[in-house]
Amino acid sequence: MMNDPLKIGIVSFAHMHAWSYLRALSEIEEGELSAIFEEDPERRRALESRFPDIAIYSDLREMLAREKLDAVIITSENARHISHAREAMLRGLHIMVEKPITTRLEDADEILSLAEREDLIVQTAFPMRYHDATVIVRDLIERGSIGEILVITATNHGRYPGGWFGVKELSGGGAMMDHTVHTADLMRWYTGDEVKKVYAVRGRNIRENLEVDDIGLISLTFNGGVIGSIDCSWSRPSTYPIWGDVWLLVIGTKGCIYVDAFASRVESVIEGDRLRWKYSGADADKVMIRDFIRCVEEGRRPRADGFDGRQALEITLAAYKSVEGGGVVQLPLGK
Amino acid sequence: MIANSHVRAWRDLANVVAIVDVIPEKARGFAEGNKIDRWYTSVNEALEKCEFDIVDVCTPTFTHCEIAVEAMNNGKHVLCEKPIALTLEDADKMIKASEKNKVKFMVAHCLRFWNEYRIVKESIDRGEIGEPRIARAYRYISFPLWGGWQREMEKSGGVLIDMGIHDLDYLRWIIGEVKEVYANGGILKSKGTDAHDYLHVLLKFEGEAIAFVESSWIHPKSHPFTYGLEVVGERGMLKFSRETSEVVQLWTEGGGETISPLKRDAISLEIEHFLNCIESGEEPLVTGLEARKSLEVALAAIRSVEEGRPVRLPLNGGSI
Repeated sequence: MMNDPLKIGIVSFAHMHAWSYLRALSEIEEGELSAIFEEDPERRRALESRFPDIAIYSDLREMLAREKLDAVIITSENARHISHAREAMLRGLHIMVEKPITTRLEDADEILSLAEREDLIVQTAFPMRYHDATVIVRDLIERGSIGEILVITATNHGRYPGGWFGVKELSGGGAMMDHTVHTADLMRWYTGDEVKKVYAVRGRNIRENLEVDDIGLISLTFNGGVIGSIDCSWSRPSTYPIWGDVWLLVIGTKGCIYVDAFASRVESVIEGDRLRWKYSGADADKVMIRDFIRCVEEGRRPRADGFDGRQALEITLAAYKSVEGGGVVQLPLGK
Repeated sequence: MIANSHVRAWRDLANVVAIVDVIPEKARGFAEGNKIDRWYTSVNEALEKCEFDIVDVCTPTFTHCEIAVEAMNNGKHVLCEKPIALTLEDADKMIKASEKNKVKFMVAHCLRFWNEYRIVKESIDRGEIGEPRIARAYRYISFPLWGGWQREMEKSGGVLIDMGIHDLDYLRWIIGEVKEVYANGGILKSKGTDAHDYLHVLLKFEGEAIAFVESSWIHPKSHPFTYGLEVVGERGMLKFSRETSEVVQLWTEGGGETISPLKRDAISLEIEHFLNCIESGEEPLVTGLEARKSLEVALAAIRSVEEGRPVRLPLNGGSI
């Protein structure tokens, strides 16, 4: 017999991924959207007209007190993850947090210790661990298809997402904060190893009047000697046919693997519009949300938990430290 | 190996009078195969016994300086395969020889004549993408086994000086001078070699642009030679790769290959340019000094790998 669907709340639609998680929730039976917290009046109006049957709160405490939720998905601005996670966890709720888990290491550590103390599941939203293409890469590596890993080269390019992503106080940083963690996490997952050294460069911004960084390059050295690199730049023009890419080259002692995870596409050109790539690949968000729900039900450790979120954040923060004159930064970072 | 494509291009544009190779069978075979009358086993011998205007140096890198300087001291114009040399001292000797003897000296950085790379350069020069801010350039292939000398760091300089220098030189051409480099890699896979087989380099330019250059000799043997470029400026981006350039594909029971449809390849355009410079007296596109600057960036990257820290340019003392 199936359990009753898990009751899930979404904390803020500030991050656009909330829409995809909501869609994923609506398509699976294991969980259901019970309530939404949204402070922004404009976004609240949009939500109210689309979901007239769902309670939408402008006060998080009120939502947590009134609704009998099992878990929340936190998709607020990066710098607000910590306060929202704290509120939810102190109410005994399991959480899935959008990446990056937080913007400061001490905040991530607080989430980890709350999870430990309250015995709660914390999942970091790293959908690339659930994307069929990048999962195949992991399987190929595990099977020994390319021997021992020597090098992982990655890009996570994007268009400029706009809004609060360009406000340092809310985002914690620009492209480097937004786009380092996905591929850094995949590298940790593929190698089963931690990063030892980080060096990064930031150039003059493509978008001159942006207060956060929009281009960056990162070089990584893992404890076991694997060499990694990440291009985390928001270097795609606004007219680019898709939001960006997650591309990796994994070179091993016996071969190499390329993956261009969002290259599956139908090309669409409508009169009067630019070329667009309609993504035709795997639905990673749905698999991720379903796994989160199962982890909560079974008390299982998620494929990417809070610790994985923290480790990817640490790499990001080390990259920022490097560009701010820190040279080659050794991990772990000191307090 | 590059000599094959050079000779093919020369034959259409000039009269190739002699082949020199230290191995007699090779010199003879090459000359006969290309219907060239004379062959010699030393540059000295050729200089003594034969009349010509130009020497094209396609030898292993560690021999470039001696051969080029000797040819220039005998009044010959010199086209030298890239990289110019393995040390800045050697590069300086070559530059001085060209100045002293008032001969034309060009280093064959063929990307500057390569169609896609030229189109990108022209677009940038027209201001279409605004000022370049970030670039990404790579070349991937398995370890080159044809020469033997590539295995020795002292003879080839390893993957970056031998191959990655193409991208370093090209990025200098389109973006400007490099201020600082950080490189990561080394000898990751290959046995029986002391030459680097993989490096990636993070570059900072004078104008605050940044770039990523990746050079791999650790791809599997079955992997085709692959290259690509992406440049993003204030107003747009330019991007291509081998897959978008070599649009003719041939597949047979034995395997497949891709073919560029261009009738004139970069080598032919480069040689024609060099000939034009000799006739007109103009400076070649890749002077000794230009090639020296590209070598300096590569040497700085190698120093960065060895010292595990970013290295600023210019370098003080330039050997590997």
